[in-house]
Amino acid sequence: VARLCVCDLLVAQCDANCCCDPDCSPEEFSLFTTCSVPVVVGDSHLCRQKAAVYSLDVEANPPERIFQLVDQVNPSIFCIHATNYKQALYLNSPEMPTAENFDRLLSEFGGAAFSAEPEGWSVDTEAPDPPDANETHSYQYGAPVQTEDAFLRLPSPVVSSWCSDANPAGFLVNQATKCIRSVSVEKCDSIQGLSMLFYINSSILAVNVTVQSIVVQSLDGMRTLLEGDDVLRLPLALDELCLNIVLGVSYHITYTDTGAITEAAAAFVLGTITKEALSVQQSFQISFTQANTKPVPLSGNPGYVVGLPVRAGFRPQGYPFLVEFLTNKHSQLSILQSTASQDCLAAQGARAPVLFGYNMISGCKLRITAGMKCQPLAQTLLDVLKGQSFPEYVASFGNSQAQDVLDWVPITHLHISEQRFSNPLQSLCQIPVALGIEVKWTKYGSLVNPQARIVNVTATLSTSTLKQLPPGREKIIPVTSSVVFTDISSPAEPGYKAWPTINIKLPFDFFYPFV
Amino acid sequence: RILNNSFQLSSLPLQILFYVNGIYSIFYFLATLAMIVYKSQVFSYPDDFLVPDLAVLFLMAILEVPRLYLGCKGNLMEEEVPLGLSLGFTVGSVVLCVYLLAWQTYILWADVVLNAVLLCAYGLESGLKVTAIAAFVS
Repeated sequence: VARLCVCDLLVAQCDANCCCDPDCSPEEFSLFTTCSVPVVVGDSHLCRQKAAVYSLDVEANPPERIFQLVDQVNPSIFCIHATNYKQALYLNSPEMPTAENFDRLLSEFGGAAFSAEPEGWSVDTEAPDPPDANETHSYQYGAPVQTEDAFLRLPSPVVSSWCSDANPAGFLVNQATKCIRSVSVEKCDSIQGLSMLFYINSSILAVNVTVQSIVVQSLDGMRTLLEGDDVLRLPLALDELCLNIVLGVSYHITYTDTGAITEAAAAFVLGTITKEALSVQQSFQISFTQANTKPVPLSGNPGYVVGLPVRAGFRPQGYPFLVEFLTNKHSQLSILQSTASQDCLAAQGARAPVLFGYNMISGCKLRITAGMKCQPLAQTLLDVLKGQSFPEYVASFGNSQAQDVLDWVPITHLHISEQRFSNPLQSLCQIPVALGIEVKWTKYGSLVNPQARIVNVTATLSTSTLKQLPPGREKIIPVTSSVVFTDISSPAEPGYKAWPTINIKLPFDFFYPFV
Repeated sequence: RILNNSFQLSSLPLQILFYVNGIYSIFYFLATLAMIVYKSQVFSYPDDFLVPDLAVLFLMAILEVPRLYLGCKGNLMEEEVPLGLSLGFTVGSVVLCVYLLAWQTYILWADVVLNAVLLCAYGLESGLKVTAIAAFVS
């Protein structure tokens, strides 16, 4: 305890007013005014212990430091007389790894990650112990999909482009990766990542991975789908070729709305490599579909994600009330896509999908010659602007299901005609020259995680009169179509919980003798 | 001394000591238990060290009962067999008491006092028992 000094902070220098500092000389002690640390003791609970007492004798000239080692006694009856537990009173310095105890320390404290509780990569304390068919294991978004021994592997490039087999697939995370694996024809049946067995061997807890389809790719790249073949095809070394090596795996996992996995299927692409091939590129993909729903690509969950297409659909004809919407690829909200030739009439119907949050403008040029009939021209331009099947309803959330009719917003159509009232009797036919789609959206939900929700969609068609041209003259009119997204969210309102109420009710027979 | 037409060989001091020991044992057990609880709250007392200490204390409490009962019975009935058994139990209790005195995780000053008194009592008892056995046998 005589060597301990709490105020000795500077190395090889004297700290001010630190009486226990060994770096101080008597001249420096004479400059001190007080002792910042008068007593240094161990644990105050001990019955008897040595204490180092430092004090300054200001009477002497020059002042000098007095150091005494005294016995301090704790008079309490509950003072610690002795202890057999070394860590109780002293700091336990950790073991230094040496050649002898390194293995033991590694097995005790080593792990894949720096955490307070070391867990091995393949040991999962939450997974039920041998997979029970009746037990369902519910996942959260991004949680690794567990199999019997480890995780469902989706090989992907980690640091370089080489395939790493330790990448787990996350639940509900649709991924597609490509990576390169080194091969050699001689050892092609021993390399694990090239055989189908490696990918369907591990069953996801109670669910086995079934082979959905096998596509065989020949050396020149032509792919053929094998009919009705669920047989496992293992790599086969044949002369200078190696057949049936895995070039691509596509997992399709079906899950329920409680987060349990019910089905898993894998579609394979098998190929052939020659003797000269040193590496082969493999592509892997995983997609998740909810059970009992048609796999519709979501544009957000639940709010729209910027950059994903706006979902739209039709109400089926002939139904007196809304039952379900029809949504297919052709009923997407789309606008005219500008082509290189910029000729409206020659546009081959190229349309660009309307992506949420992206304001777009496109157009083409219409060349009007003399003698063009207005009515067919108007109809053609309307087709060019609106496309073949312009939808009637737009989904208000990115994940609106077709059955939820209240989640769909009807498209309002406005017509602005540039009519010259100079001659009201002459109702000239109008040709559409501009289509503007304005999508009003709002932020919905909580302030920290707002979701985009489409509230209103208005399609404004502007028309103008077609003036007949004198023969031989031609005019070029620009035709434009645009999409604008406007944020009409109102400012956030704080939401408070209801005041707690005191709920007092007397028991039924409180006034028993009198009532 | 003649009492009821027979010589009395039972040892009166031993009987008094048994009586006092019984009361003191109850007090000792409760006090030590309370102190272990106090220690576990104030100091760092991991389970690896707490369990053996508690086990020894409870074992001692369990051993006290047959020890005192056999001792009383043997002394009053003037039989040496129960008294010999009680002596054996005493030896065990002495070992446990020494553990609590010297090898406990935290030994407070109060622990030292209580255990020292108990050891003295055990020592005195053992001496008196040996004398009584000698008196009974002969």
